[in-house]
Order: sequence, then C-alpha cells, then structure tokens
Amino acid sequence: MSKSANIAAAGHALWANIPKVNTELFALTYGSLITEILRDYDQDIPEINLQLERIGHSIGVRCVDELLAKSEVNGISIPMCKDLRETAEVIAKIGFRMFLGVNCDVGKLTDKSFSLYLSENPLNIFVELPSSSEDEGTNGPDWNQLKYSNIYCGVIRGALEQVNLKVECSFVRDVLRGDEVNEIRVDVKEVLAEGAGEDYHEE
Amino acid sequence: MTFLHLFIVNKSGGLIHHRPLSKLAPHIGTNDWLRIGSTFHSLHAIAAEASPVKSKNTKHDGIEFIEAEGLVLCCFQSKTGIKFVITAEPGTRNMQKVPRDIYVSYTDCTLKDPFYELEMPIRCELFTQAVDDIMRKYG
Repeated sequence: MSKSANIAAAGHALWANIPKVNTELFALTYGSLITEILRDYDQDIPEINLQLERIGHSIGVRCVDELLAKSEVNGISIPMCKDLRETAEVIAKIGFRMFLGVNCDVGKLTDKSFSLYLSENPLNIFVELPSSSEDEGTNGPDWNQLKYSNIYCGVIRGALEQVNLKVECSFVRDVLRGDEVNEIRVDVKEVLAEGAGEDYHEE
Repeated sequence: MTFLHLFIVNKSGGLIHHRPLSKLAPHIGTNDWLRIGSTFHSLHAIAAEASPVKSKNTKHDGIEFIEAEGLVLCCFQSKTGIKFVITAEPGTRNMQKVPRDIYVSYTDCTLKDPFYELEMPIRCELFTQAVDDIMRKYG
C-alpha cells in the first residue's frame, strides 16, 4: 500500500516541477490539429484514428525518456517493474499525472493486459462530437467512430516500446460518445529481447 | 580535477554523440570515437552477462564505473538503452550526477527537437549549450 502512495507522491512531485502551459491553449491547439487532419484525410475516420495513433507513437517514444530522466534527478527511483501491475501504476500515476496533471486509475488487470481510466481529459474540455443522424445519411462521416483522444493510445504504445514491451492500445469507452469515463485498454503482445546481451548468452 | 570526454551510445551500439568536456581532453579522431563507442557497448553487454551476481534491476547490470590510474569512467544506462559515458581525471567529484543531468538535457533539448530522429547522431545547438552549462556547474 505504501508503494502506491510513493508512486502517487512521485507523480505529484514531478508535476510540480514540470513547466506548464495554459490548458485552454493545449485543448484548442489539439482541436485545430484534429480539424486539420480531418481536412487532410477527407474525413476518413478510420484513417484519422490511425494517424492520431501514429502521432502519439512519435510523442511516446520521447516522453518515456523524459519521465525516466526527470524522476532520476528528482531522487525518485522507478525500479524495473516486476509485473504488469507496476508498469500500469507508473503509467497511470506518474506518466499521466506528470504530463497532464490528471488522475488516472488502473483496472481490469490480467497478466497480459490492463485498463486505464481517465475521468478528466484535458484534450476534450471544449469538444462535442456532431451527431451523425443529421448528416446526409450514409454519406456523412460516422462521428461516433472518431477516437478523439486516440493520441494517448499511441503515446502509451511508443513509450512501452522503448522499454521493450510491445503493446496494443485502444480506446474502449469515451465520454465524447456518452460513456461515463474514458477507458483505454492496453494489451501486451510480447516482451522484446534486450539489446546486445542476446548475442553473448551462453549456448 | 576535470572532466575529459562525453560520449553517448544508442540502443544498437552506435555512437550518437561525442565531445570533449574541457581543454585537457586529449584529441581523439572520429574513427577512433566510433570504435570506442561500439567497443564500449559490447563490453557493457558482456560484463552484464559475465557478472556472477545479477542485480534485480537488469538495466543496472553492466559497466558502471571504471577506475584506472590515469582515468575514471562513469557510465549511466537509461532504461531505454541509451548509455551516457563520462571520462575524467581521477579524483573528480560528482561523477555520478553528471550523466544523469546530461540525460535530462538530452530529453529536454534533443528529444524535443522536432528535426531530431531517434538513434541518429545528435546535432542540436541547445544540447551543446546545455552540456556546457552542466560543465560550468560541476567543473
């Protein structure tokens, strides 16, 4: 129990030290990014979800080093995670807290997957998805399919890839679609081999 | 007691950055640097495998500190596999702190540079200045 208290405290400490930007600016910038992508990809919703995930991936591979570096110099030791629960806790309590200042909970933990619950999402504070029924019937884009915050899934995938965990992430529940909470499901596909050490293992 | 060199090795063993940290640092040619980088990477991996005691933190296995008569070398490997290696004259203080501060500068300057590709040689002016600042702080 005290270990999770430590992790939560670590997240708060890192959030306190990190330079911050205006929430509205952040949300509106992301919103304009989404509208640009909608224009670029001609409102092809599945393709847009994919692009958002790819953008998130590029961010994630860099975020993970920042999380590890800043905790190192702030005297917070994040040991190698012994099991998936610790990995999930670090992502939820330290990662989301440090970069976004939001509370994130872990749930539905199995030995190969877990869920992250976000009750507040700074990206969608001004967002409402248009309802598809008003559109030209089957010609309009199906807005319910748009995963507005899919960038998070990419960030998590990129970050874990850098620490040798290959995962697949997806949004299963989204407040923009009417659910009460945002839920991201993370499935571990494989644990990648360590670097050069593999070549030198004893036969 | 001054610092001599900094070199950074990426996950695959390629050298992505090297620079002298003071005027006392001997001049080492580029080819020699590349050789040093990959040799150190292999030695680090061999040392981790050859170690009779495995630490619980597998990323802390491998070479951390080499103390020789004319030189001390300190290596910090991040959990993402990047090695930050500093050499200095014997008796230099704060050897452990410098690579960690350089790691933070790496994340703040290099990784946030939109034109920097991961695992590629580092050519960021901001990063060079940040390392200069760290040297002023500890040197």
